[in-house]
Amino acid sequence: MTCNVTTGRVTRYRNLIDALGAAPGDRPFVTAWIDEDERETVTFAEFRHRARLQAKVLLDHGVTGGDRVIIIMPQSISAMTTFAGAMMLGAVPAFLAYPNFKVEASKYRSGLAGVTANLRAKVVVIDEEFPDDMLGHVSLSEETRLLRASESRGPSGEEELPDLENPAECLAFIQHSAGTTGLQKGVALTHAAVLRQIEHLADALKIEGAADCVYSWLPLYHDMGLIACFMLPMVCHVPVVLQSPLEWVMHPETMLQIITECKCTLAWMPNFAFQFVPRRTPANRWAQYDLSSARALINCSEPVRSSSMQEFQNAFSAIGLRSGVLQSSYAMAENVFAVTQSDINRASGPARIWADGQTFRSGHLIVPVAEGTPSAVSFTSSGQLLPGNEIRIASDAGVLLAPGHVGEILVKSDSLFTGYYNRPDLTAKTIVEGWYHTGDLGFTQDGELYVIGRKKDLLIVGGENLYPQDIEEIVASHAAIHDGRVIAMGVYNPDLGTEDIVVVAEVEREELLANSTGIEREIHNLVVAGIGVAVRTIFLKPPKWIVKSTAGKAARSATREKLLQEHPELNVESLNLES
Amino acid sequence: MTAEAQQMIEHIVRLIRKPGLTIDENTPLVSAGLIDSMALVDLLLKLEELTHMRIPPGKVQPKNMDTVALMLATAQRVGKPRK
Repeated sequence: MTCNVTTGRVTRYRNLIDALGAAPGDRPFVTAWIDEDERETVTFAEFRHRARLQAKVLLDHGVTGGDRVIIIMPQSISAMTTFAGAMMLGAVPAFLAYPNFKVEASKYRSGLAGVTANLRAKVVVIDEEFPDDMLGHVSLSEETRLLRASESRGPSGEEELPDLENPAECLAFIQHSAGTTGLQKGVALTHAAVLRQIEHLADALKIEGAADCVYSWLPLYHDMGLIACFMLPMVCHVPVVLQSPLEWVMHPETMLQIITECKCTLAWMPNFAFQFVPRRTPANRWAQYDLSSARALINCSEPVRSSSMQEFQNAFSAIGLRSGVLQSSYAMAENVFAVTQSDINRASGPARIWADGQTFRSGHLIVPVAEGTPSAVSFTSSGQLLPGNEIRIASDAGVLLAPGHVGEILVKSDSLFTGYYNRPDLTAKTIVEGWYHTGDLGFTQDGELYVIGRKKDLLIVGGENLYPQDIEEIVASHAAIHDGRVIAMGVYNPDLGTEDIVVVAEVEREELLANSTGIEREIHNLVVAGIGVAVRTIFLKPPKWIVKSTAGKAARSATREKLLQEHPELNVESLNLES
Repeated sequence: MTAEAQQMIEHIVRLIRKPGLTIDENTPLVSAGLIDSMALVDLLLKLEELTHMRIPPGKVQPKNMDTVALMLATAQRVGKPRK
């Protein structure tokens, strides 16, 4: 592993703030797209100026190098300048999710209390609208000051700030790993690690500050939003157009509108967004838009689903979406961001392979077969390793596996995190001898990484390894089932000593429940035909039954809890398992 | 009661699916646990449709959506006419 910190176009900077300082002042940096007729753009010079004002306010409140600064503000330019302002002082900022009407208050409160206590911040910055009933849950120790964003507007003029002393190996910020509330383990990252990651990613994507423009609805407290859509544009001097996640979820069509109007070239999206946008935008309006400016729309989910990518491609080819624009990446907060990136020069997009289904499920082994072979399973690659990144595939027993064998993905890189902030216990569990244990299952083949799913979600039924996502995809293909509203899970069967597959799925319209027996039978047949195993029970539910995450994605564990509550017969079996 | 309020009430009754439940403009919904926060996206979209306004979701908190009367007042306060 080489860490060349002096010669790269990005790693020549001492720290992230130097990189911001080197940006051409008159180039637009952030455009906050509020709605159709309201937006605000700041140039790099204006952004720097506003960040310096925020830094001065933080300095006046006693913030110095190493202090944590928690920012709980809506997705906005102010939130970003506060973050950069904290870094200008050598302090360590962290974005936390802002409460909104979609997030369940009790869950948000407990997450907020836990995270703010763990970070022991010097200052917590909130905005004027921050709901008072949440304030009591921000853990404020004697040393912690609460700052309303209104108070954090300083006087205009150039502010004198202390010079940062060689902080490349100091912590730059803390980003939280993804979750339903976004309030989880704090991943501590150094300036050097972030710069190295951006160097590799910018090379792989051939980023050009003067020619590119990033589109993002991704929350800033998430790695895709923070790294790909804020740090990378800041360091590579790329304009970014940003909208709030909530605005996007309500009006997904705005993505097409923004890319068209602002001629955006790059965006990162989770897998479900590739289906959500075409399905929620009336087809008779597609022709109003033009996606010909886009050169890479990158699917960062585990796993990447070719059916979702194909749906997006089919929908929008006619409005300029070129083939090869849809790409993939395997990314995680713990590695700053990306471990792999698909080859953007490949006109057919990410590599795909087909493998024998039976050998895959029973032996966790990939035996390639021709496309279209009966009972074959297909996988879409998450791309090739970025420079400075290494992976291993390991069995449960820790044995290293050869290409074509499925096991846990371990990562080592020059951008790996130094640990979970203030959580040496968690760090020791996940970083072993320099290798980060991701908890994701996957395999390599011909130099490509294929990610299959989370290890903890794996279902083992009668010795067969099954992935809930595969079952969910089959169930969702039934015409009566609402897109994306299916959860498959394993429920222990004490009589058989193995897990049974239980599926909960929402029907498209409540009236369809009148024919639930017929639909259930058809779904049983589909699953047996697709993967050769039987689902024990299918629970058909009315629309909106499945618990969703902030971004509108089905939330696996929360849905499981709800199902177990409503169906005590399953609950009893779960209790048996624990006892 | 306005036509919008009436239509909103009918929509909510369909959404809640509780036999025999009646609600009026001032029935607390979120605070009484009748609708959960996830359903609020659907209600906000319905509110946009009924009022022909575009409502910036960032300007809405659950307390602004607790009753049908509050929802309509919220639409008036933060909504923008649709283009």
